[in-house]
Amino acid sequence: MSDGQSMRQAASWPAEIGQQHGARGPDQTAAVEAAALNKWFGSFHALKDINLAVPQGGRIVICGPSGSGKSTLIRCVNGLEPFQSGTVRIGGVDLTRDQKQLQKIRRSVGMVFQQFNLFPHLTVMANCTLALRRVLGKSRTEAADIAAHYLERVRIPEQAHKYPAQLSGGQQQRVAIARALCMNPKIMLFDEPTSSLDPEMVKEVLDVMIDLAADGMTMLCVTHEMGFAREAADQVVFMDQGSIVETASPATFFAAPSQERTRLFLDKMLR
Amino acid sequence: MTTVEIFVGIFDGFRITATVTALGLLFAVPFALIFGVAQYLTKGAAHLAVTAVIEFWRSSAVIILLFVFYYVLPVIGIQLPAITVAAMVLGLNAGGYGSQAVRAGLQSLDRGQFEAAAALGLPRGHILALIELPQALTRMAPTFINQFIQLIKGTALVSLVTLTDMTFRAKEIAELEYNPVGVYTSLLLAYFVVCYPVTVFGRWVEQRSGGRKGLTNEF
Ligand SMILES: Nc1ncnc2c1ncn2[C@@H]1O[C@H](COP(=O)(O)OP(=O)(O)OP(=O)(O)O)[C@@H](O)[C@H]1O
Ligand SMILES: [Mg+2]
Repeated sequence: MSDGQSMRQAASWPAEIGQQHGARGPDQTAAVEAAALNKWFGSFHALKDINLAVPQGGRIVICGPSGSGKSTLIRCVNGLEPFQSGTVRIGGVDLTRDQKQLQKIRRSVGMVFQQFNLFPHLTVMANCTLALRRVLGKSRTEAADIAAHYLERVRIPEQAHKYPAQLSGGQQQRVAIARALCMNPKIMLFDEPTSSLDPEMVKEVLDVMIDLAADGMTMLCVTHEMGFAREAADQVVFMDQGSIVETASPATFFAAPSQERTRLFLDKMLR
Repeated sequence: MTTVEIFVGIFDGFRITATVTALGLLFAVPFALIFGVAQYLTKGAAHLAVTAVIEFWRSSAVIILLFVFYYVLPVIGIQLPAITVAAMVLGLNAGGYGSQAVRAGLQSLDRGQFEAAAALGLPRGHILALIELPQALTRMAPTFINQFIQLIKGTALVSLVTLTDMTFRAKEIAELEYNPVGVYTSLLLAYFVVCYPVTVFGRWVEQRSGGRKGLTNEF
């Protein structure tokens, strides 16, 4: 919890992050590793032989046209979507279909959805403390302290007693991020976290995500916010028709993509 | 007998009407919850079995079930008190309808609610009890109130298995004294007096949940 605050003081983070990342040296186990992952919806081949490794502290942006399998891939990572072949490892542990094991793994994998998915019948505070209390067994006051810390971190001051419907979209999404952070996850998954927001609210959510990246959080983000990819990602993955077409650093990805399909996509995106 | 005397006489049966309703709820509420949830969660053979039980209670005519349980079961040596038979049959019939409201309420929730809770590592039972059911039951509250009123009105049938409820009293009074208009108008009034407060309560519940939605739109 305290590392969160210390990093807030980092002034010009992009340079520092690079150093910090390098300083860790060649990494031990990958935070997430998908190998030869295949997924079918009935006869539709949604994920084709996906190989993807997210190193600890890695920040990977996944982009690609609609229906390319981005959500499906990210949902396979925390077992919300079962897959038919291949493996997914979280911190070196194989994802199985055993519910107990899945529950345990999910504690260390935070997820933020396009539609926020806050619990509308619970206050902001209760949204954040629910899993702390029921899953981690924290006391009411301990959970409230943790929640207050992360709510402050996503810049939601003084709204803890409100219900989700009383907040703007941007505020709701930031609460959703705080709710996930409360579990102190080792990795955060984002599935188009800004796609259903009004344009003026996109920045407040991206700012929080950029902060998280600066703090060294391992992140796997499906997003079409190319500004975010440029600024915060260290790898961009381009998917099309269920396959990973290209993986590159943001600089290479935007300036000199190697695949024709990537170029076509970028032309459309950045026009 | 004056109309007031008739009305008071009919209200003698209120205790039975209320007892059957209350005991009926003891059958209806657990049945609706357990079977509604079970129908939502099960698949395959278990789902078919759950559905079959629900459909039996929901789709059989209450009056026939009353006769079967009261007059036919004793033939094979099972003798149940009239009040038990009445509460069980009416309760499980109402519970059958209630279970469908529970299931529909659960199914109407956005899938994202389950997913967000699962992503936090909550076990299935917790997701159901803390996330899904509270929302489903609130959403279905007006339906439950309607079904409760149906249950009260349904108790009029218990006079057929010898219980001295308001309807039975009305028939008794009608036999003593030739005044069908006075007697049956009083009976209508008696059920109205019992059911109307529930209707008002139901409207209040509906407005409250509607009010929350209004709030939602405001922001
Ligand atoms: N539950 C499902 N059943 C059947 N097909 C599905 C299901 N979910 C997704 N698909 C299909 O799988 C493909 C990949 O879907 P997915 O949601 O992963 O795409 P996406 O890249 O996230 O697209 P978008 O940018 O629109 O969110 C699509 O063709 C979609 O129609
Ligand atoms: Mg998607």
